[in-house]
Amino acid sequence: MISEFLIKQIESVAGRYPHRGSALLPALDMVQRENGNSLTKEDIACVASLVGVSPSKAYGVASYYTMYNKEKVGKYHLQIDTNIPATLMGAGVILKHLEKKLHIKPGQTTADGLFTLDEVEDLGSCGTCPVMQVNDVYYENLTIEKVDEIIESLKKGIMPPRWDNSHFASQCNILLKNRADASCRMITQYQQKGGYKAFAKAQAMQPSEILELVKYAIVRGRGGAGFPAGMKWSFLPQNNKGPVYLICNADEGEPGTFKDRQIMEYDPHLLIEGILIAAKAIHAKKAFIYIRGEFRWISEILDKAISEAREAGFLSECDIIVHRGEGSYECGEETALIESLEGKRGCPRLKPPFPAVKGLYGCPTIVNNVETLACLPFVLEHGAEEFRKIGVVGNAGPKIFGVSGHVNNPGVYEYPLGTPLKKILEAAGGVKGNFKAVIVGGLSTPILTAKEAETLNMDYDACLKAGTMLGSGGIMVINDTVAIPPIALRTIEFYAHESCGQCTPCREGSVAIKTLIKGLIKGHGTKEDIDKILELCNTIMGTTLCPTGDAFSMPIRAMVQKFRAEFEALVR
Amino acid sequence: MKVFINGKECEAKQGQTVLQAARDNGVYIPSLCYHPKTGPAGKCRVCVVEVEGMRGLQTSCTVPVKENMKITTNSETVRKAQRLVVDLLLSSGKHDCLACEQNGACELQDAAYMLGIEHPTFSLADTKTDIDDSAEFVYREHAKCIQCGRCIAGCNTTVVNEVLDFGMRGHDTKVICDIDLPMGKSSCVQCGECSQLCPTGSIIDKKTRGKGRHWQFKTVNTTCAYCGVGCQLTLHVDQAANKIVQVTGREVVPNDGMLCVKGRYAYEFPSSENRLKYPMIKKNGEHVRVSWEEALDYTASRIKEIVEKNGPDVFSAFGSGRITNENNYAIQKFTRAVVGTNNVDHCART
Amino acid sequence: MTNSIQELQDAKVIFVIGSDTTEAHPVISYFMKRAVKRGATLIVNDPRKIDLTKWAALHVQHKVGTDIAYINGLINEIFKNGWAREQYLKDCTENPDAIREAVKDYPVEKASEICGVPVETMKKVAKILGEAESASVCYTLGITEHICGTDNVKTLANLQMVLGNIGKYAAGLNPLRGQNNVQGACDMGALPNVFHNYQPVDNPAASEKMAKAWGVPSLPTKPGYKMPTMLRKALDGGTKILYCVGDNTVQTEPNMAHTIKELQALEFFVVCDIFPNLTTPYADVILPDTSWGEEDGTFTNSERRVQRTRRAVNPPGEARSHWWVMQELAKRLGKDLGFTSGNAVWEDMRKTATSYAGITWDRIENIGLQWPCPTLEHPGTAFLHRDGKFTRGKGLFSVTKWIPQAEPPDEEYPIVLSTGRRLWHYHSATQTRNSEGFDNIFGEELLEISPVDALKMDVKTGDLVKATSRRGSIILKAWVTERSAPGVAWCSFHFAESCGNVLTIDRFDTVTETAEYKACAIKIEKIGDGEPLGDGILRQARP
Repeated sequence: MISEFLIKQIESVAGRYPHRGSALLPALDMVQRENGNSLTKEDIACVASLVGVSPSKAYGVASYYTMYNKEKVGKYHLQIDTNIPATLMGAGVILKHLEKKLHIKPGQTTADGLFTLDEVEDLGSCGTCPVMQVNDVYYENLTIEKVDEIIESLKKGIMPPRWDNSHFASQCNILLKNRADASCRMITQYQQKGGYKAFAKAQAMQPSEILELVKYAIVRGRGGAGFPAGMKWSFLPQNNKGPVYLICNADEGEPGTFKDRQIMEYDPHLLIEGILIAAKAIHAKKAFIYIRGEFRWISEILDKAISEAREAGFLSECDIIVHRGEGSYECGEETALIESLEGKRGCPRLKPPFPAVKGLYGCPTIVNNVETLACLPFVLEHGAEEFRKIGVVGNAGPKIFGVSGHVNNPGVYEYPLGTPLKKILEAAGGVKGNFKAVIVGGLSTPILTAKEAETLNMDYDACLKAGTMLGSGGIMVINDTVAIPPIALRTIEFYAHESCGQCTPCREGSVAIKTLIKGLIKGHGTKEDIDKILELCNTIMGTTLCPTGDAFSMPIRAMVQKFRAEFEALVR
Repeated sequence: MKVFINGKECEAKQGQTVLQAARDNGVYIPSLCYHPKTGPAGKCRVCVVEVEGMRGLQTSCTVPVKENMKITTNSETVRKAQRLVVDLLLSSGKHDCLACEQNGACELQDAAYMLGIEHPTFSLADTKTDIDDSAEFVYREHAKCIQCGRCIAGCNTTVVNEVLDFGMRGHDTKVICDIDLPMGKSSCVQCGECSQLCPTGSIIDKKTRGKGRHWQFKTVNTTCAYCGVGCQLTLHVDQAANKIVQVTGREVVPNDGMLCVKGRYAYEFPSSENRLKYPMIKKNGEHVRVSWEEALDYTASRIKEIVEKNGPDVFSAFGSGRITNENNYAIQKFTRAVVGTNNVDHCART
Repeated sequence: MTNSIQELQDAKVIFVIGSDTTEAHPVISYFMKRAVKRGATLIVNDPRKIDLTKWAALHVQHKVGTDIAYINGLINEIFKNGWAREQYLKDCTENPDAIREAVKDYPVEKASEICGVPVETMKKVAKILGEAESASVCYTLGITEHICGTDNVKTLANLQMVLGNIGKYAAGLNPLRGQNNVQGACDMGALPNVFHNYQPVDNPAASEKMAKAWGVPSLPTKPGYKMPTMLRKALDGGTKILYCVGDNTVQTEPNMAHTIKELQALEFFVVCDIFPNLTTPYADVILPDTSWGEEDGTFTNSERRVQRTRRAVNPPGEARSHWWVMQELAKRLGKDLGFTSGNAVWEDMRKTATSYAGITWDRIENIGLQWPCPTLEHPGTAFLHRDGKFTRGKGLFSVTKWIPQAEPPDEEYPIVLSTGRRLWHYHSATQTRNSEGFDNIFGEELLEISPVDALKMDVKTGDLVKATSRRGSIILKAWVTERSAPGVAWCSFHFAESCGNVLTIDRFDTVTETAEYKACAIKIEKIGDGEPLGDGILRQARP
C-alpha cells in the first residue's frame, strides 16, 4: 500500500524532472523505504501507474537494479563487498565470521527477522576495505572486533555512527585540498577559502570563451576514457533550439575506484562550482548529478550543498538535481546512465548518435565525470597555462589515484598525471609483502606484472604504451600470497553479474568464461579450456554493443596470458 | 549508389543499412534482433561485418551505407564473431530443432546452418524449463528465447499494448508480462504481435502447435474476416484436412502485419461442424434438407407468385457488411433488375 | 473515413468520440497509441472509462446521448476565442455564418449543464483543438446509434470544418466502420436509394444508364425502404418477402421480441448464412453460404481500400457463393445476370462505377487501392476533399440541436443501458464462438455496473442479476467496474443467451433509421450471489 502522503511526495519528485518517467527510480526507492525495505509486485504496479509507465516497464526496472529488494529483508540488511580489493583486504574473513555469528548464509535472513546477510559487488570503498553496508550506512576498515561491536549494537536497536579513518594525501592541493577540512562542506567556509571565485569569473565570460579555455587546458575525462572535456563539449550541435543538459557522472563503481566520493563528500561545492562553469559553457539550464545509490549519505551532503548554493543565488541560471542510481555498474557508461536517469533499465544505447547530439530526453547532453568537473574551477581561476604546467604534455592536471589491495596505507593520493607508479605506491606506505602484480586503472584494465609496473608512469599515454590503461586511476596491488585464477574468477563473476544483458557476447560470453574458469579451479578443466577462454576474450573484444565486453575480456585475457602457468597448474 | 560487398560491386539505396543493402543484393548476413518493423537494435551482434575505414567490427543493421563503401561479410574475423554469437545463443538455451514448432521457420536455425554450427560449444543453459502455457493463444518458452527484444519492441512500439518488457538482467534477463505475471493472467490482449515477430520458437501460436510443419502448409493472402480495418493476412492451410491452421499478418497497408486477437486466432469457424451445409426448406414446421434445384425452384416460384400478386415492393432484400462486394452487387442487381424494387438495404447500422 | 488509417499515427491531436477503439477496432487503436508515443494529444470522449483512456491526455466523460450539446459547446468556445479557421470558412464552406449563429445557443456553461462535463474541461478541450495544427476526429457507433445519429455526425462535421480539418493529411472526419465490408455494401448499392457508386435511383439519367447496362427496359425510380421500415411493414402486409443474406436479424436488431413478431408475420422468408443462428428458425428456406476463406472476391475497408479476399479452403457440404445463387434465381425468373465468376461480377459492376473504374482484381493482387480510382492508371485516393475542396463544391454546415434520448431513465427504470462490442467476440459471435478458445477467455456476457450503483443495489462482481427494460429481460452476471459511470450500465449483444438487444429500444434516427442501441432505460435486480470471476475475464481492466 502506498500512503496518500507518499503519493504527494512522489508527485513532487516527478515535478522536478522535465519528464515524469525519470521519477520511476526515486519513487520505487521511496515506496521501498516506507514498506519495510522491500517492494511487492503490487507496490511496483502502483508506482507504475503513479509515474505513468507500464507495469512491465516498472517491474523491469525494479528487477534490474540491485538495491530494490523484491524479497523481504531483515531490519538490518548487512551487505559485504567481496569484490577484488575487498577480497584482497580480507572481506572473506569478515563474511565467514558473520555467517558463523548469525548462523545464516549470504541471501538468508535470521529467524528473528533482524538481519539479512548479502554478498555484494564493489561498494566504492576500495581503500577502506573490508566494508559492510548496513541499510544506508557504510562501516569501513572493518576488523572482526568492529563487526562484533556493530552486531551487538544493532541487536540493541542502535545503529553505530559511521567513522572515517582512511588515508589520503595531496601533492597538488587542487582536488583534495579540502579533504582534511569537513567544514568546507559549508558554503561559507568554502567561499572563505576562495570558493566560487572561478564561477564569478566564468559568469563574466562568454560560453565560447570558457569552452576555448577548457579546450586549450586539455582537461582529459577522468572517468576512465581520458577524452578531453572541451572537445566533447564542442560536439554539441551549433544551432540547437531546445534544452541542453549537463550530467555529472558520479556513479563511481569500477572496482578499485573511490576517488569521486572524496570530492563529493568533503568538497561538494568544488563540484557544484565545476558543474556551474561547465553548464555556462554549454548553455545548460539543468544539470544532474547521477550518484550511485549506495552513497546515500553523500547524496544528502550534495543536496544540502546545492540548496546552500541555490540560496546564495548561484543556481539562478542552472538548476542542479541529484539523482540516485539504484545499484548497477553498467550505469557508469554514459548512455546507460542517461537511460537510467530517464527511469529505464541501465542498458547502453547504440552510438551514434552520441549524447552530445541526442542524449537525455533526446536532447543534446554532456556527461562529465566528477573529477573532471572538479578540475574546472582551477582552470578558470588560474588559467589554462597553469593547468597545463601540472603533469606532462597532453596529460595535464592533477589526478586522484585510489590505492587499494596489498599496500600499507590504502587510500587516495592526488598527484600530477605522469607521476611514477612507484612514487604513488610509496605514498601509500609501500607494498605489503612481495609485489606480484598490479591493476592500475580499475578492474577493467589489463593486469601488469610487478616487473612491467616497475617503471610505469601514471598517465594515459604511458599506460597505453605499457599495454594497459590509466582508466579511473584505481590502483589495486597484489602480492604473492594470492593466486591469479581466483582473482580472474571473481573478476568475471562481477562482470557477469553486472552485464545489462542486452547484447549476446557480453551476456552469454561472460557466463561462458566464468563457467570455464570455475571448471579449472574446481579441477575439471582442460588445457583446451584455457585456449577457449583466450579465444572468447579475443572474439568478444570489439563485438559488444558497449565497452563492457572489452572491460572484462581485456583483463581476463591479460591474467590468463601473463599467469598462464597458474591456470595450467589447475589442469589435472 | 555503389558499394562493394566482398569485393563485388553492388547497388544500394541512400538511407539503407549495410544489412538491407546486402540482403537486396542476395548476400546473406545472419541477423536476429533486426526486423524491418522494429528497426535496428544492434543487440544480438550476429550481423557484424567489416567496413573499410571503420575500426573493428560493425553491426550491419545499424551502419548506413555510403558511396563506395567496402564491406566484408565473410572474412575469418567476421565469421568467427558471428559463429561465437550464434554458438553462445545455442549454448545458453534449449534449442532442440527436432521437436521445435518453428523448425524450418527459425532465424536462429538458419544462422546456425549458414555458419555451419552443429553442436554448441558451451553448456550455459539453466536446467529448469520455464514454460508459460497460461495464455489462450500465445505459448511461451523462455529456454528458446534469445533476448533479441523484437517481441518487446513490437508490444511497446508497434501495437503499443505495453505488456511485455525485459525483466531481471544479465544472463537472467527474460521477457516479462506486466509485473512478471503469467501471460494469461496479465493485461495481454493476445494480439499475437510478439509471436509474429519472434525469430525462434520462444513465442508461438499455441493453436498451431502440433498441426504440422511450416513447409507443409499452403499460404493464401486475404483480408480479415472481422472489422472494417481490412487487415491483410496470410492464411496457412492444411490442404489435406481442408483447414486453416494459422494466420499471420502481412506487412503491408493498412495493418503493417499487426492483427488483433480475432483476426489472428478466430479462424476455425469455416471448418466448424456447426456450419449450414445444405439447402433446407421448412416443411411442416421442420427444416428439411433439399437439393439446390428444389430450393432454388421453390424460392423462385414463391417470389414470382407473391410479387405477381402484390407488386414488387412487397419484396425486400438484405445485403450484408459481412459478404463480398461482388455478392452485395449481385443482390442489388437481382433486387432492382429482376424483382423490380429498390427495397434493398443492409445492416450498415450495426 | 475521409482519411487513411495509417495517417492516424502522424496526427497531432486525435479526438475520439463514441468509439471503444481498443475493443472494436484494435488495429486502429494501435495507430492512435503510436501517435501518442510520438507526442500527439489524445482526447477520449466517452461516457465509459474505456481502455483507450489509459493513453489519453484527457478523458471527457460526457453523459450518454449529449454529444450535440457537448460539441456545439466546443464550437461555441472555438469561435469565441478566435480559433475558427476563418480563411478556410471563407474559401471552402458555404454558410459559415449559419453555424456561427447557431452555436450561440450553446455557451459552454449551458452545454456543460446538459452533457455533465465541467466547464473547465470543455474549455481545455476547445483550446487543444483550437490551437492544434490539425486534428483527426474518429467516431463509431457511439455517435450514430442514437435517434439523433445523423445530427451527431453533422455536428462533428461542423466541428472539423470550423477547424479547417477536412481535406488535410492526418486530420478529417473518420467513422471507423464496424464490418469488414460495410463500406463495400454501401458502395455496391445495397442501399434503398442508390445504385452502386452512389448513383441515385431517383435520378432519371442514372436510372436510364443502369437500365441500359443491365439490359432491362426500366428500373424502379422510387427509393426503397430502409431495413427497419422493411421489417415494420411486415406487420401491416407491406413486406411479404424478406430475402436475408448474412444478417442475424433477431440477435442484432433492437427489441428482439418485436423483431421476431415481424419475421413471423412474413409470408416468405429466405435466409442465406453460414451458421444456424437466432434468425434461421423463422426461415422458410435456408441457403448455405460460402464463408470467409472459401470465396474469391473483394472487400472495401473503412479507408475505402478495395482488397482481395481469397478462397483458401473448400466450402463444406453444398455451400455456394451468393452471386451464383442470384444468377440461378434470376434465371428461374427469366433473366440472365451474366454472373459466371466473382471476377465477372466485379467487371459487370466496374464498368458502370466511376469511383471503382480503375480498380481491377489484377491491380489489387498484392495491395489494395483506395477509391475514388477512376482510371486504370490512377493511384487511388488516400484522403478526400484535399485542400478543403469538397466533393460537392463547398462544405455545408448543418445546424443541429440537442434532443434527449428516446427513453430517458425514470423511477421505474432508473439506469441507462448502453450497448456495444467486446474485443473477444464479434457481433452475434457465430464466428468467434465457433473458433477455439474465445469462450474460454470470455464465455458469457457480463453486465457492467458502476461501483456506485452496485453499492446501492448490493451487487458485487459475479452476482447474478436480472436486467429488465420495457421490452424484455435478460439474466446475466454482474461486473462491477469503474469502466461504467454512475447511472450507466453496459453490455454487448454477442451472446444469444443473454443478448443486450432483448432490452434495446426500437426507436430510430429519422434519416438513417439507425436504432438507439446506445441508450435505453432499464432496471437491475439482484437475483443471486455469485462466485468472483476469474482473472482471465477481468484482465481487460488493466491496473
